[in-house]
Amino acid sequence: MNLMRGLFLILVLSSTNTVLFSAEAGMPQLDPTYWASQAFWLILVFSVLYVSVAKFYLPKIKKNLDDRENKIKEDLDKANELKRLSEKKLAEYDLIMENSKKEISKTILEAKKKLSEDIEMKKSAIEKEIEIEMTKTQKDIFDLKKSSIKSINSISKEIAANIIEKIVGDKLNESSIQASVDEVSKKNLGKYL
Amino acid sequence: MANNPMQQFNVYKIGPEINIGGVDLSFTNASLFMVISAISIALFLYLGTKEKKIVPDKLQLLSEMLYGFVAKMISDTAGSKAKPYFPFIFSLFMFVLLCNMIGMLPYSFTVTSHIIVTLILALFIFIAVTVIGFIKHGFKYLSIFVPSGVPAILLPLITVIEIISYLSRPVSLSVRLFANMMAGHTMLKVFGGFVISLGILGGWLPLSFSVALTGLEILVAFLQAYVFAILTCIYLNDALNLHH
Repeated sequence: MNLMRGLFLILVLSSTNTVLFSAEAGMPQLDPTYWASQAFWLILVFSVLYVSVAKFYLPKIKKNLDDRENKIKEDLDKANELKRLSEKKLAEYDLIMENSKKEISKTILEAKKKLSEDIEMKKSAIEKEIEIEMTKTQKDIFDLKKSSIKSINSISKEIAANIIEKIVGDKLNESSIQASVDEVSKKNLGKYL
Repeated sequence: MANNPMQQFNVYKIGPEINIGGVDLSFTNASLFMVISAISIALFLYLGTKEKKIVPDKLQLLSEMLYGFVAKMISDTAGSKAKPYFPFIFSLFMFVLLCNMIGMLPYSFTVTSHIIVTLILALFIFIAVTVIGFIKHGFKYLSIFVPSGVPAILLPLITVIEIISYLSRPVSLSVRLFANMMAGHTMLKVFGGFVISLGILGGWLPLSFSVALTGLEILVAFLQAYVFAILTCIYLNDALNLHH
């Protein structure tokens, strides 16, 4: 009974309005009225879209992406080149620094050497002078001692002659006094010379 | 009438009737939304490629990301041989995506919720892939139906199954998209109807469902466009690289 009623309704509706029928009786997707239209417009719109995307938009995006990649690559290359250059410069700088450091130490060493040589030379000269002076002075002292011993001898001879004259009251032979003083002084001379 | 959840799928004429050779090719709301989708894509790509900046702005970045996304999808599934078909896959993905997404706007029409639309896309892909397969490999392309390493006794059965599965590709491809879109929109409409019928007291529950479902449907809209495009890539891969 229900089925009959449904069929009747469908028949009535389909004879009056197909749009209403498709809406009322289930899925409008299964109503073939506009299938051809949808297919036609789909193919038309999609074709236009495909052509514009394929010929116009995608090449533009691709070009832009490639450009960016190339730019990045170029920039990187440039940066690497600059880095290489700066490293080279740094190495040069280091070399210069090292050389100059070496030179400086060499100069310092030379100066030190020269200075010490100078000092040594002057020192030895002065030492030599001192030596000469000392020998001279020693000789002087020796001479002085000798002469003083001689004068001591003559003084002690005189003293001895005087003492003997005073004690004994008589003048002794001068040569015998001389001999005994010489003997005593010779005995003791080793102590002072 | 207004509460009928299927009403949103109605197709009606806009403007004059165009009849060519007894076939009604009138401009309809479906055609309108196809045009809107296509124009949106064109506009988006136009704005995205208008200025060529080294550091891209948002739209340019988005268009370049989509380009990269589709390019990666193709090279991952179909390899480098599929490069000539990149514009087609890109257009297809964008078209289905935009049709799905624009369909999510209230009072709009979802082009991809009609089986005829998805079927035509799927049939075109199916025929094109088959033709490409035969052009590239000649009759050797038929070896796609005969997988290697199968015991001889099972071979006739497997071959029949392979043929059926190959022939059902356009059906599965089109019905998957169509059914997903239709079911999602119907469900949204049903829950929307519940909000009205339950009123201010009970309507909050279906309303919250509606909100959640809208989020889900947006995900589905993207996912189905992706699935449609990636399955096309996989079919293309079968035709280009005969691996069997």
